[in-house]
Amino acid sequence: MARTLTFEIFRYNPAIPEQKPQMQCFTLAETANMTLFIALNRLREEQDPSLVFDFCCRAGICGSCGMVVNGRPRLACQTKTADLPERIILLPLPVFKLVGDLSVDTGVWFRDMYQKTRSWIHTKKAFDSDQEEERMDNAVAEQIYELERCVECGCCIAACGTARMRDDFLGAASLNRIARFALDPRDERTDQDYFEIIGNDYGIFGCMGLLACEDVCPKHLPLQNQLGFLRRKMGITALKQLFRKSSCAS
Amino acid sequence: MSIHATMHIVSPSRRDAYFDWLQMLTGLGLVIFMALHTALNLSIIFGAKSLDIVAGALEVLHLDTLAHVFVPILFLVHFVLAARKIPFRVDGQLAIWRDARLLNHRDTWLWIVQTISGMVILILGAIHMWTTITAGAVQAASSVARVQSSGWTMFYLLLIPLVQGHVFIGLYRIGVKWGVITDKMRPKVVKILVITFAGVLILALLALARYATLTI
Ligand code: HEM
Ligand code: HEM
Ligand code: SF4
Ligand code: SF4
Ligand code: FES
Repeated sequence: MARTLTFEIFRYNPAIPEQKPQMQCFTLAETANMTLFIALNRLREEQDPSLVFDFCCRAGICGSCGMVVNGRPRLACQTKTADLPERIILLPLPVFKLVGDLSVDTGVWFRDMYQKTRSWIHTKKAFDSDQEEERMDNAVAEQIYELERCVECGCCIAACGTARMRDDFLGAASLNRIARFALDPRDERTDQDYFEIIGNDYGIFGCMGLLACEDVCPKHLPLQNQLGFLRRKMGITALKQLFRKSSCAS
Repeated sequence: MSIHATMHIVSPSRRDAYFDWLQMLTGLGLVIFMALHTALNLSIIFGAKSLDIVAGALEVLHLDTLAHVFVPILFLVHFVLAARKIPFRVDGQLAIWRDARLLNHRDTWLWIVQTISGMVILILGAIHMWTTITAGAVQAASSVARVQSSGWTMFYLLLIPLVQGHVFIGLYRIGVKWGVITDKMRPKVVKILVITFAGVLILALLALARYATLTI
């Protein structure tokens, strides 16, 4: 039973540019129910205190522990070593800015994305704190919640071939944000408004349907269906405009 | 809103949306043509006479003339539109190659197969269309003679798997991109497409074998 695991871990500290990026090997005896969270912490405590990686909730909620595990972007805290071979190769997520070793800065990227997609409820209604909150249909609320489950781990962006080739591509997490607001009855934005944000090759028409996002998302968000939904919605929005006279006339 | 926010704004445009529609529609148009074209070729399996009957019927309907005009146009437009997605600079090519290698992810590999097959089809398909269109009416005798003349069997042996592969990957891609294939349907649709692809490929190769061995 008890295996000895070999970890090959990417080491690089961008603050010390003289140091070249390299892969470092560690060995560790596997224990029952070991996750990568446990393994990495033990490596840092017992073997190399300089090892850099991110963890926070260790329960798949905060999204900070995304890394490339044997080729696939995953949440390290949700990955059991028992499901992996004896040789485990850990790399930081590509696309994002490297902080050091396995740690990347997804925060700035997601913050920027929220600005680009204007990721908040747009409404002209004035807020009245004395009024009872408007009720939402339960089915709609559940649909929105399904898309809200994204933990911003960045796995879908790191896996996306389009995002790897073009750093101006929005990526699945961002498009999913738009799908989420398009569903929300409180958001008064029209299809035309959404079209201005994602109706181009930086947005939904840049997506080539490689579905790596769908296949790696650790929270199993329905990304494939949302991307299809947005492509149809935005494609139809453009066609409608084609058959409509200029809005300035009359 | 602050003034600097209005200083540099990309003017909203529907261009990318129209290009995406056209890319899909030209791809679909070529798939429909290829389905008919494969059916025509399959009739050779039943002998020279059956091919001549099918080809004759198409001629009566003037479908051959239609194809001679519209297929090269579709072919060219589809290539130009799809080429927008192909990385022509080495850094882009390396990025997608490394991504596919690292992930070892089926659909990412399929995209690479689609791109490379597309570029080879561009060359081989153009040569093929040139020779068949300039040769005039399709007849079993002339086709058999051509396939049996130097190099053409090898040419088609290469072209058949590339085209059929590109067609089926293309259909799958249209399905997932536009949401016709949902996540629940995906495994089943993949199975159906793989089986159909294998069947069509075998039949097309059988047709080629007939072209290459018939004596008229
Ligand atoms: C008989 C000829 C051809 C057929 C039947 C065909 C069919 C298709 C179909 C159905 C698609 C999917 C379209 C979409 O995703 O919207 C596609 C995509 C593609 N085709 Fe073709 N094609 C042909 C020739 C070519 C040629 C000559 C090229 C030249 C480079 C090419 C390159 C591509 C590429 C790169 C894509 C992927 C586009 C993307 O993922 O966004 N194809 N093709
Ligand atoms: C107007 C356009 C076209 C015409 C008139 C045409 C005609 C023909 C004819 C007459 C043959 C029999 C072999 C021969 O005579 O050499 C043939 C075979 C073939 N053609 Fe085309 N073709 C056209 C377009 C295309 C395109 C666009 C492709 C794909 C790129 C293609 C792929 C093939 C293949 C793979 C075969 C071998 C089929 C088999 O053995 O199953 N053709 N075509
Ligand atoms: S479907 Fe593919 S191209 Fe589109 S966002 Fe997902 S991984 Fe990227
Ligand atoms: S959509 Fe999934 S993979 Fe992408 S950031 Fe959200 S949780 Fe992570
Ligand atoms: S530590 Fe929070 S998701 Fe892994």
